[in-house]
Amino acid sequence: MTASFAGFRLIDVGGPPLLFAEDPRFKTVRFVVEFRRPLVAELAAPRSVLPGLLLLGTEAHPDRPSLARRMDELHGSAVVPGTAKVGELHLLRLVLDAVAGRFLPGSPDQIGDGLALLAEIVTTPALEGRAFPAERFERERRQLLDAIGAERDEPGRHALSEAIRRACDGEPMAVPEHGGADAVAALDASRPVEALSDFLERGEAVLCACGAFDEGELRRAVERFLERLPEGAPESCPGPASIPRRAPRASTEELPLRQSKLVQIHRFDGDADPDGWLARNLLVGMLGGSPSSRLFREVRERRSLAYYASASLDRYKGLVQIQVGLDRAAAPAVRDQIVRQIDELRAGRFDDGELETARAQLVEGVLGVDDAAASRCRFTLGQWALGIDRTPQDAVAACRRVGRDAIVEAAESLWFDFDHLLAGEEAGA
Amino acid sequence: MTSARFTRHADPVLGEEVLLARSDAGMPIRVLPTARFRDVCAVVSVGYGSTDLGFDLGHRQHRSPLGVAHFLEHKLFEDQDLHVFERFGKRGARVNAMTGFGRTTYYFQAGTEFEANLADLLLLVSRAHLTPENVQKERGIIAQELRMYEDSPVYRGFFGLLGALYAEHPVRHPVGGTVESIAAIDVEELLACHAAFYRTGNMALSVAGPVDPDRVLALADASTIAAGDAPFRVCPDDLALPSVAHVDVQMDVARPRFLLGYKDRELVSDAETRLRRDLATRICLDLILGAGSDARESAQRAGAFDDSLSASYLGEARFGVAALVCETEDRSRAESAMRDLLERPLDSADADLQRIRRRQLGALVRSFDSVQSLAFGQAEEALLGVQPFGQLARMQELRIEDVEARRAALFDAAASATCVVSAR
Repeated sequence: MTASFAGFRLIDVGGPPLLFAEDPRFKTVRFVVEFRRPLVAELAAPRSVLPGLLLLGTEAHPDRPSLARRMDELHGSAVVPGTAKVGELHLLRLVLDAVAGRFLPGSPDQIGDGLALLAEIVTTPALEGRAFPAERFERERRQLLDAIGAERDEPGRHALSEAIRRACDGEPMAVPEHGGADAVAALDASRPVEALSDFLERGEAVLCACGAFDEGELRRAVERFLERLPEGAPESCPGPASIPRRAPRASTEELPLRQSKLVQIHRFDGDADPDGWLARNLLVGMLGGSPSSRLFREVRERRSLAYYASASLDRYKGLVQIQVGLDRAAAPAVRDQIVRQIDELRAGRFDDGELETARAQLVEGVLGVDDAAASRCRFTLGQWALGIDRTPQDAVAACRRVGRDAIVEAAESLWFDFDHLLAGEEAGA
Repeated sequence: MTSARFTRHADPVLGEEVLLARSDAGMPIRVLPTARFRDVCAVVSVGYGSTDLGFDLGHRQHRSPLGVAHFLEHKLFEDQDLHVFERFGKRGARVNAMTGFGRTTYYFQAGTEFEANLADLLLLVSRAHLTPENVQKERGIIAQELRMYEDSPVYRGFFGLLGALYAEHPVRHPVGGTVESIAAIDVEELLACHAAFYRTGNMALSVAGPVDPDRVLALADASTIAAGDAPFRVCPDDLALPSVAHVDVQMDVARPRFLLGYKDRELVSDAETRLRRDLATRICLDLILGAGSDARESAQRAGAFDDSLSASYLGEARFGVAALVCETEDRSRAESAMRDLLERPLDSADADLQRIRRRQLGALVRSFDSVQSLAFGQAEEALLGVQPFGQLARMQELRIEDVEARRAALFDAAASATCVVSAR
């Protein structure tokens, strides 16, 4: 009997689980391996500098140009190490995105060659002793510090990260992905090597592949890839911290901007079952998920209070993030509208058409993942992280069962935690 | 049975087909019918953008305020009578529009109700439902959008650079105009521009996904988009050397940006020739500044710039600009290194070009895995009037000598300008 998960086959290749789906509709192959660790302040900085360092060279391809040229030879394959903050987890994500060999002259072994290069990048980086070469380390550390310094040049992103940092103070979620400027400044060249070993040896790992390949071809390439990784003793990751209801808090940061940004963080009471989360997702969609939603219609279209007004759900932490780009003077009226629209939903004052529109958007979004190998992998890895064994079609069927009562229940469990205004000084003057 | 009005073209690598036709009213149509995707993506592209500020009406010349094309896109898209967002939203369709220097593009992507979605997409571009009140309301929303862009150092720097390179050509102005210029846009202006440019001879429709090509053609035939061509555009050539060598933009910025730009001093009206020139330019930039370039790596290791350096080329019928941008505290060092890389002969060989050909072949095959990439690519080629699937031939016919000739023509210090965005 073949095991499966979320519509992908699940097999044991002598290491982490491998989820895969052969799909002859595609002309490309997507392979992803994720190593998951808890997000902690002391390791965030060395982890974040890691991808840049890994792409500066290996023992066999000693500098960045030679690595890049090798990817060109593989017909532009993307062979990419990256890190990501996902809820309160920190991920090392290794990705191969390649055109399948069968569509290229001579039918080259694109998966085998691509995974060999991926393994080379993470297992034989160019080191001096047990550290990255000092010049390379300093270059990447400087770049990360400069990038952190330039974060506020993107006001929308800056406002959101500040809102999360302040709302989640004391929780792992408050740790920025890069750990902060002070932590990066204090790094030494050996820490990223330790961070790499920590990911590879202690991370909860999962492999995922989708696209134009056959099972034997994939197995052989994956087995060779895994042979090059160190023996691991994976440690399980904790779930997200849960916070009881408390009084709303607020903050304001002033910068000389032409447009102010309002970010609100709302939370749900505790966890829910998968169907409960679908109802929460639909609720957020009705509130601000699309141009058909309440915030867009009421705040932008009807009252011209803002250029954009949206709500999104961070499913891994359970935060609802409301983001509005507005004149500072409009902030009180926008806040009133947000409260009013949530109250209306909580009271069940919405029509069926509104629910059906949000449902159609969610359903189309989920079914649309089928059209690309990358989105299929993303969906399946997301389900794996959440422990929900549902195919896109299963998720859609469950979504169709969500009724009005579940929406009201979701709205009742939503509470307002934090309001952050990035205020444009000129507009407020 | 597909209509005899379609002609078939197969791509040379994979054999996938695109069908070409014209609607009864003369709009070029391209359909890529494939069951490989669940979604359908449909794109309507209009040959009208922010640089189309003047046109000849025979008896007089019409002059538009800055930002009309973008304003019109907003108004068509937010047709309060048609309820665009609600109609598409109920079907779960993702729908959007965008305005550039020479294009306005409308599209949807959806897995169901393709015919209803396409009929609505064609309807929304066919008419302008405008009142003084709804134009006034939209003005406030657009002003908010423009203020958002004005907080972006990259945006401010890019238009600062274009302003230095071009004294007269409207590419020097922001696509959306300014808060001041949109105050002059009214119902009559919007209607005049819609009537002039939203015409079948100045538009293209492209559809990719599981569709019946005959239904696409039938819906296009039934569309009420006005027939005819766009009027003659009145636009200065502005091919002279930049009269301003450097511009400073001051704003609240955490890290200064430096931009270096070069303008094309020769216009190419033939679209196929222009595509070949674009390709040579992009490959030139790739060879010099791509991740595989030893010269870039040396400059970066010497501290001239960092990974924030990026390069782009924008080539249209009436202008062409290569722009480089990076974050830096040391503008003169960055400028010196960039000029040194670009303004001296290429240090590349046929083997380098061959390597990039391999990557381009991969990119071509990869494009067939995205319904959106297929629809957008074909819409652009239809509007340009070039044959489908010409990329590979262009790439194969390109020689390293062509790339060097292009480098020498474009990266002329005399035709360059710089811009620095720094803190007040």
